[in-house]
Amino acid sequence: MTKALQDSSIGAWAVQRMPCLGAACTTLFAPTRAPEGAYLDLLPGLTAVTLALLTVSGLVLAVYYNPWHAFASIGFIRRGVHQGWLVQAYHATGTSMIFGLIYLTLLRAMLTRAYRAPGELVWLLGGKLYIILLLLGWLGFTLTGSLAGHVSLVVATSAAQALTSAPGAVARWIFGGPAGPGTLMRLEVLHVVLGGGAIIVLGLYGLARRAVRPPVEAGRGVAFFPYYAAQYGVALAVFGLIFTLFACFAPHAGQPALSAVPAAALASPAYVALPWYLAPLGAVADAVPGLGGGIIAVVAALAVLLALPWLDRSNGGRKGWLYGALIWLLALDVVGLGLARPGWLADLLVFWFFFHFLVLTPVVTAMEAP
Amino acid sequence: MAETAAQEKPPARASSRRDFLSILTMAGAAVISAAIIWPMLDALNPDAKSAARAYPIVNVADIPPNGGKTVDWNGVPVIIRRLTHKQMDEARAVAQEQLPDPASFMARVNHGYPDYVVVVGLNTGTACALEGNDPSAPRGPFGGWVSPCDGSQYDALGRLRAGPAPRNLAIPPYHFINAGQIQLGRGA
Repeated sequence: MTKALQDSSIGAWAVQRMPCLGAACTTLFAPTRAPEGAYLDLLPGLTAVTLALLTVSGLVLAVYYNPWHAFASIGFIRRGVHQGWLVQAYHATGTSMIFGLIYLTLLRAMLTRAYRAPGELVWLLGGKLYIILLLLGWLGFTLTGSLAGHVSLVVATSAAQALTSAPGAVARWIFGGPAGPGTLMRLEVLHVVLGGGAIIVLGLYGLARRAVRPPVEAGRGVAFFPYYAAQYGVALAVFGLIFTLFACFAPHAGQPALSAVPAAALASPAYVALPWYLAPLGAVADAVPGLGGGIIAVVAALAVLLALPWLDRSNGGRKGWLYGALIWLLALDVVGLGLARPGWLADLLVFWFFFHFLVLTPVVTAMEAP
Repeated sequence: MAETAAQEKPPARASSRRDFLSILTMAGAAVISAAIIWPMLDALNPDAKSAARAYPIVNVADIPPNGGKTVDWNGVPVIIRRLTHKQMDEARAVAQEQLPDPASFMARVNHGYPDYVVVVGLNTGTACALEGNDPSAPRGPFGGWVSPCDGSQYDALGRLRAGPAPRNLAIPPYHFINAGQIQLGRGA
């Protein structure tokens, strides 16, 4: 393909002036891919497609979104804007889908133990992407102006106001006082900026992944087109089908019921209900008493997740069945965290999460390594 | 693919098959991308609220003969006047060649409803709102509108008759939905 580009007169003209074009074509079309890759290898690609869809639909929503009448403006988008219901469904369902993809990506990296050397950087960037998506998801959740989002925002701003010295100053700069329309306007700006950050981190993740990918055996590689694109096409078709089913038939799947109610200053539900993708970490925050305790618990949970390459003591040894079973148990644990209401069961699940990373992972991997 | 290509006897056929696949894939990708992107482009069209403001529907059935109505259209005052038969006859009788900005009677009104005059209520000289839409307000010697700023005078069709202003009053795009309602913003 690079040769074809240079053979055509326009291609030669462009490559002469923009040598990077040739490099891009080499990257895209050079025979560096085995003809039959694992479909799950395409998860980051699907994440990129979803992120692009979220970016474009988010920009369209931002044209009409009004933080001073947040809930009403989303109602207006769904009713008064041409195809607004569909663009809003793109954004809401896209959020659920990208979290589904990142959770799957992290689970797959754990199961295949791709996080071990030389994949530590890939794991760290994947975890960083997850953290940014969590922030983005939470900001978007509060921006809906629903009662559920409002209650979550009130908890966050109350915690921020309780902070003192430097953290308190930063929190005040971000939230600008108690939860209100002014706060939502700030959070809208932050949401847009962090969206750009997510794109950058996803790009770095892709680069890091490409750098550690084992080279294709000589003679086995094929060019990007048509095999690779065909595989992408199949993956995209399946993904698009799932996306469409959710967007059209279950647009509010995984959202708390109070998302359908506008924010009201005097209504206070029994507990902070979160969308499914934030619920596991919400349960972690709820398990530790006090506002500061919740923040510390969330930071600790994300820190042990990121530290996984160093908690694994197998030193590149073989994969054992027990550790694999424990990973599946952890997945069930996280699902349970998402479903459990505050109480002893949620506390137990939080304990298991930390126990898995801090005790079981080093012990079992060291035991199974030869 | 390399093996398949080697087995194909005429290389030209193999290449055309590959071209076909490429074109099919690209065409499919283009159609799907367009279908996904189109709603987001369509959403950038004016929303229902803006469209309602851009194309307001005005009730004119309640305007009595010789009476008038002023409506706001995108920040521009649009004045609607209903003529009496006498005013219409007088306006038809004017020799249009002698006017500063010649215009015939039918060029100034709707063909189906010639008793309604719809014009932008801003003087074409010094920009300012006109007086005379209300029957009790001063209408000047030509029975139309006068500009309180530079003294320009218009007749009942909004044609310039005297004064420093250079042109007749502008006619906004509008059309009659029925005998009692007009819609501004869209021409007939």
